[in-house]
Amino acid sequence: MTEIPEAFSFSHTKQPSGGVHDGVVTDVLCPFCGCLCDDIKVTVTAGTITGVENACTLGAQKFLADTGRLPKPIRRDEDGWHEISYDEAIEYCVEILKNANRPLLYGWSSSLTEAQAIGVHIAELIGGVIDSTSTVCHGPSILAIQEVGHPGCTLGQVKNRADVIVYWGANPTDAHPRHMSRYSTYVDAYFMHNSFRDRKIIVVDVRRTATADIADEFLQITPGGDYALASALRAIVRGRDDVVPAEVSGISKVQMMQVAEMLKNAKFGAVFFGLGVAMTRGKYKNVRNAIELVDELNRFTKCTITAMRGHWNVYGSNEVFTWISGYPYGIDYSRGIAYYNPGETTSADLLARREVDAAVIVGSDVGAHFPRACCEHLASIPTVLIDPYPSATTHLSTVQIPTAVNGIDAEPGTAYRMDGIPLQTRQVLPCTTHFTDYEIFSRIYARLKEEKGA
Amino acid sequence: MTSLSAYLSHMLRAEWIRSFFLVKTKPLTKPAYFMDYPIDTGKRCTHCFSCMMICPVPDAISVLMVGETEGEDIWKPVLYQGHCIRCGLCVEICPERVLASGDIIERVRQDSTYMQSTFHILVNEGKCAGCGTCSIACPVNKEIDPILASKGTTTSDEVIMRVKAGVMRVLHEEKCTGCKTCVLHCSYQAMDVARVIECLQYESDDETSATNEGG
Repeated sequence: MTEIPEAFSFSHTKQPSGGVHDGVVTDVLCPFCGCLCDDIKVTVTAGTITGVENACTLGAQKFLADTGRLPKPIRRDEDGWHEISYDEAIEYCVEILKNANRPLLYGWSSSLTEAQAIGVHIAELIGGVIDSTSTVCHGPSILAIQEVGHPGCTLGQVKNRADVIVYWGANPTDAHPRHMSRYSTYVDAYFMHNSFRDRKIIVVDVRRTATADIADEFLQITPGGDYALASALRAIVRGRDDVVPAEVSGISKVQMMQVAEMLKNAKFGAVFFGLGVAMTRGKYKNVRNAIELVDELNRFTKCTITAMRGHWNVYGSNEVFTWISGYPYGIDYSRGIAYYNPGETTSADLLARREVDAAVIVGSDVGAHFPRACCEHLASIPTVLIDPYPSATTHLSTVQIPTAVNGIDAEPGTAYRMDGIPLQTRQVLPCTTHFTDYEIFSRIYARLKEEKGA
Repeated sequence: MTSLSAYLSHMLRAEWIRSFFLVKTKPLTKPAYFMDYPIDTGKRCTHCFSCMMICPVPDAISVLMVGETEGEDIWKPVLYQGHCIRCGLCVEICPERVLASGDIIERVRQDSTYMQSTFHILVNEGKCAGCGTCSIACPVNKEIDPILASKGTTTSDEVIMRVKAGVMRVLHEEKCTGCKTCVLHCSYQAMDVARVIECLQYESDDETSATNEGG
């Protein structure tokens, strides 16, 4: 999957390749969250997944409850939805992208990096905007990293060395169930005896989450108090606790002093932050302050910070977009060169300003998550949804093209874990009915090149 | 004024002064039944986790591997005094007599008492999210499947419990030592270990075995 292939003929039935009809596939990469657990064992009986081991409930359901897929591409007209062929659907997609003045390609976090790369090439060819789900997720975290850098590490380092772990504005218990049992708190460390008894867990959140229940130290801050708390902790770590008032963001100075001491005395501290930091008031400034707190702590000990990336290959989208265009998301090619200005070239803003005149949504449910004004605009323009399953976005779309599911029946490719480690997906089932997003975008790109005479 | 003079006349008597300065009260000693925090007797811990099982307080005692000697792991019960309520149950149940407090061991020997326990693990499948924390934290599982302990990946069906199809399945309940680590660390409150403990006394015929049992 390194070269973009010539245009396929999509009229014939897809030839099955890879996957098993009966048997057990090991070391499967879970296709759900940013943890990308790569130790899943899947049992296939008569072409159906009948057993999943090691995956959490979220991951197991992705495999076991894989029902309700759209069998063929569909198109909406006055009479409702009608099935169409892949060729017709792709021609429609090419037609709307070719003629659009401000096309938007959004989603990409459930796609393989190979498909994401073709997406950027398409955006460049048609002078469109390409944006990934990080625009509504950890986008602010990336802005903060662009400002002050990223003292990060792989999850393996955390697992083997960290003795103080901070979850700030994140609830891995519910959102990344295996994060604590596979990468941080509970798993045995190579460099520690009795690691899970010796590790200290600090949770910072606005409410008492399930993760807070197992924390050694829980800081229940007032909503929007992340920036002030990080500033106060920075002051204490720098030895200027005299400037810190008795209470900051609902946390007493005594507790802050205690937490600062725990962090300073750690042999290896690991901070994980979620959208509670990145998407509350202050946004990227909160993350910047948290990164700078980690920076201060590195005067005393080793400390790292990692974003709890939620969507499966969202990290991959940022990597791919950056290595091709120089920018991580919200890249506008309308000037002929890559231009990036979050707030201007990001999906929600473009849609709210009703600038977009054609949209391709890839493996993302915009209809369920974007503001109403954005959804209304999407419903009023030609919108193609490329997704295996019908979703709320189907109701806003003109055409939906189903794909094979990456990590289940799509051919192997690359996805990035939340700590920036690229991993190879596995194909569990043979696929004869659906094309992969990689094949579909290859075809769209080839057809657009023909049309544009490129 | 009258009462003051009465006091003075009482206390200035030679007899009172002598008895005040030459008091003959016995010095205070702790009674035999006084229980302090359990102390380590230095005997070898076999990490059967009975002390953790019987402890009525969360996180008051943990059996930890503290080092190794001649290739053999050394285990010790580690006490967290802030949590301990000095009930002495860990001392009473320990078959190796690793812990001691007051005259508990002596009384167990005299009375020929022992404890018998059975456990039943309950998983609330509606609450379980299959995160695997309980099976990874479980000290028995850690020994049976070291890959599970170090990677979070189950490789053996010999473990007490493991995640299958997204929820925790109990496979070998009979291996459970009732230590409750899984219960304490399940953030979904999906785990429970029912502990049935009987306090029994040896029949007179069994006294020999009771003496051996008592160490």
